[in-house]
Amino acid sequence: MREMAVAAIALIVVLAIPLLHRSPAFEDFIIRLSAMALFATSLNLLVGNTGMVSFGHGMFYGLGAYAFALTMQMTDLSLPVAAALAALITTFAALCVGAICVRLSTDYFAFITLAVQMLFYSVIISWQSLTGGDQGLRGGIPRREIFGFELASQLHMYQFCAIVAVLGLLALRHISTSPFGQTLRMIRDNENRASFLGVVLWRARLWAFTIAGAFAGLGGVLAALFVSGAYPELADWPNSGQAIFAVMLGGINSFLGPVLGAMILLALNDVVTRFTEYQGLVLGIVILAFALGLRRGVLDFLKLAWLGYSR
Amino acid sequence: MTRTRKPGLSRRSTLALMGAGAATFAAPWVARADANTIKIGMQSILSGPIALLGTSSRNSLMIEQDRINATGGFLGRPIEFVFRDSKGQPQEAARLARELVNTTGCELLVDAEASSGSFAVQEVVRDLGIACVHTNSETSALTADPKIRAPTAFRVARQGVHDAVAGSIYLAEFANTKKLNKWATCSPDYAYGRDTTAQYLQFFKQFKPDVEVVTDAWPKLGQPDFTEVITKLTQAKPQALFTLLYAGDLSAFVNQGNVYALFSQMTVATPNVDYPVLAAIKNLPPGIQSATRYLETFPDTPANKEWGEAYFKRWNERPTNWSWQNSLAMQFYEQAIKKANSLDGKALAAALTGMKVNTPFGADGTITMREDHTTIGYAIGWGQTTPKEPFIIDVKAADWGKIIEFETEWKKQQKYI
Amino acid sequence: MDLSALGACLTSPACVVTQATSGLIVGMLLFLVAAGLTLIFGVLKVVNFAHGTFYMLGGYVAYSTLAATDSYTLAVLSGALAMALFGVLFERVLISRVYGSNVLMQLLICYAVVLIFDDLVKIVWGPEFHAMGMPTAFQVPPLFIAGGVVPPFYAVLIAIAALIAVVLSLGLSITRFGKTVRAAAINPQMVSALGVNTTLLFAIVFAIGGGLAGLAGALAAPVRSLSPGMGFSILIESFIVTVIGGMGSIAGALVSALLIGMVRGFGTIGFPRFTDGLIYIMMIAIQILRPQGLFGRRA
Repeated sequence: MREMAVAAIALIVVLAIPLLHRSPAFEDFIIRLSAMALFATSLNLLVGNTGMVSFGHGMFYGLGAYAFALTMQMTDLSLPVAAALAALITTFAALCVGAICVRLSTDYFAFITLAVQMLFYSVIISWQSLTGGDQGLRGGIPRREIFGFELASQLHMYQFCAIVAVLGLLALRHISTSPFGQTLRMIRDNENRASFLGVVLWRARLWAFTIAGAFAGLGGVLAALFVSGAYPELADWPNSGQAIFAVMLGGINSFLGPVLGAMILLALNDVVTRFTEYQGLVLGIVILAFALGLRRGVLDFLKLAWLGYSR
Repeated sequence: MTRTRKPGLSRRSTLALMGAGAATFAAPWVARADANTIKIGMQSILSGPIALLGTSSRNSLMIEQDRINATGGFLGRPIEFVFRDSKGQPQEAARLARELVNTTGCELLVDAEASSGSFAVQEVVRDLGIACVHTNSETSALTADPKIRAPTAFRVARQGVHDAVAGSIYLAEFANTKKLNKWATCSPDYAYGRDTTAQYLQFFKQFKPDVEVVTDAWPKLGQPDFTEVITKLTQAKPQALFTLLYAGDLSAFVNQGNVYALFSQMTVATPNVDYPVLAAIKNLPPGIQSATRYLETFPDTPANKEWGEAYFKRWNERPTNWSWQNSLAMQFYEQAIKKANSLDGKALAAALTGMKVNTPFGADGTITMREDHTTIGYAIGWGQTTPKEPFIIDVKAADWGKIIEFETEWKKQQKYI
Repeated sequence: MDLSALGACLTSPACVVTQATSGLIVGMLLFLVAAGLTLIFGVLKVVNFAHGTFYMLGGYVAYSTLAATDSYTLAVLSGALAMALFGVLFERVLISRVYGSNVLMQLLICYAVVLIFDDLVKIVWGPEFHAMGMPTAFQVPPLFIAGGVVPPFYAVLIAIAALIAVVLSLGLSITRFGKTVRAAAINPQMVSALGVNTTLLFAIVFAIGGGLAGLAGALAAPVRSLSPGMGFSILIESFIVTVIGGMGSIAGALVSALLIGMVRGFGTIGFPRFTDGLIYIMMIAIQILRPQGLFGRRA
């Protein structure tokens, strides 16, 4: 219940801001954040909650984007149907990939998810007739109307993405705090104990992987809306890395950690590109400061600092 | 039990930190007001293996900025370029285009992205309705495909299909003279490489029906090691090789090819060698058939020479194909803004369509912006390389009549018209 | 897909020999580049995601040294030594803080280093590509050995790579130093309690691993292009080699590199546009059938 209240407040705040001050840059930021927040938080379901380090999570993000964009371009289905279809396709793909990967132990799991992602990326690039190859899907996504949102308008797009993101995060939170979520954390902490207690490890992991993939696909749908298309970079290895960094920077042990991490990465990107062309240098130094200085994600650090004085 | 001081921040400083953080993040979104200067957004690839594309574009634009401001700017207002690096990532290109217009307040766009980025920018331009000139994207579909063409977006870059026709005519003649019937291709395996190679071959076969493609190789863009591709090529024993590799890849390919004495076994034809690349590749074999991307001696006019020398004097390196294209973009903008007396996207679009400018880069001193938002009449020539200045000699100019004839046929084939 | 061409090649002895030889060359170069990565993981259990940066810097240092001294030998040595030193610094200042940490922490730190040095290289050497050029000593026509074409430059590189393979595997298994290093990898506390300076040991291992990467970059520089960010594709290549071969196994890296070389050598004929895909499929297959890699030990 408390989560719903927090989510409602957050949503009201976010929706209210444009009524006070229109800033296209801020709205663009929130739209991109919505996509990335879902992406990173879904990854944390695997990394932080279950202890499964996936290097290939970007493939579901990209798959969601391509499935959605292709459906919109090739058919006349309405937006919510296309989005749902994209999420469904991604879920199914996550199920298949997970079935192959989840039985492997941690290190190897990381490598095989990476290999599958690289294969997926290489298929996107090669299958030029369907995906447009390395140029991505061109021609844009027809901006249609949905539930009264005119997505051609930036304001409506902003509202739509914010709502989808908050609802998605709420759903993930619900899963995370449910008994299933607790099972995942038990597996992360001590998988032997979990299995002695009767938990079928591979099945729980597969569920986690599939759910994570599904929400990453949803994030991909939002990303496709923003760029009005789909590009292979969304499904590429470095993009998986972005999600990992968002999780690490924000806090692996906090539910909202990945969202904060995504915020930090996106804001840094936006701000730094404006002042210097040496973004890598700045970003690298910032990451080192976090990794060596705080040694944990920001939210985790803040939580510890806060709690340090609550006794 | 005594309470030891816990490490970490106090509650107050934590709050302060969060507040400062929020302020830092919010700062960029509060729009900055700026009065008189016209900001022109330019985004491109300024890092990575193809950085030359962006840096040489930027160099040219800086020269144009000074020139235009010296004559009073646009509509009496000085102009200022805002440069951004998309690193060749399409979604970053889209974000940057929106940021340049929405946050930084740019009133015009010069899109110097390569092909993949340009399509992303095109969608943003379609959304925002701002005037945009694409300066480096050579993929024909950007303007030829009516579904992709946008009302306020124009292209001043050379077009893949024009180059394919012109190049094929030249190479067919060259191949017939030297009796080179067996060809091989080696192009980077991505859309530009595949589509352009296919285009060249299609026209080549039309002009020289007895050409035989004995093998084709498709290395990945940026692939460090071409060895297995080189041995595959040498084994197929072609008489000539057509390659679209460029910049760092071409350099690596030349170096690795030299190790296998590739260039003594076959003639090489490539449309892609820019001046700085020619200078940077060590041990460049002579006699490579090449298009003139930018050449000071072609067109052989004083205006062209003057432009090239001015660029060299300012930047201490030779201009590239991308340099002249960006310079041309500003010439078009200059004339269109004068004509429309406005910076509005629609007004400029109306002015630009059908506009002809006098420019050193035109085959006959002029270049025209066609109805389908792309330019014709720019200087295209083919010649052969030599290891020293001017690097390309024996240049033959292309026949624009033929180019347009075959381009129209091609557009019909692709169902664009 | 061009299966007929592949068939034609496999039935022609000349083609088989030539492509196999080029596969050998490609493979040995891959091994040379990947050796440092697998060594560091094998001993320190750290995945050096900054491996590509070592390679890149080795190449650039060699390039500048050659420009300054006109000596290829000096260039190569300087590249290797500079990276050995950099390896020590990297290990002492950064990696030592995250031993035993989550692999993601290691990834984060390495990634930060990659970002920083990609930009530093851009600042020092400029954003555009550089070509080192072949040293005059090697500007000779290729040799013909057993029907296959072998350029002398590559012959030297293969010899060096083979030497490194032998020295590394023997070094780790036979010498006292190697045995100490392997013991320290399994149980650092015990080895330290026995009086060995494990700090120094780990620094030395990183020096060797980094130095190998730098050596590879310097050796390959004459035929490859140098540009900021080139380390990324090298990292991926090396990663694939070590995962298929087995993280930590020199023999595994060698076999896997040669295997990949052969797949590329013949794949480019049969599957010219999907050669990469073949390698990823191979990687996935190995991960499913034998997750620890061809020669890896089960963790």
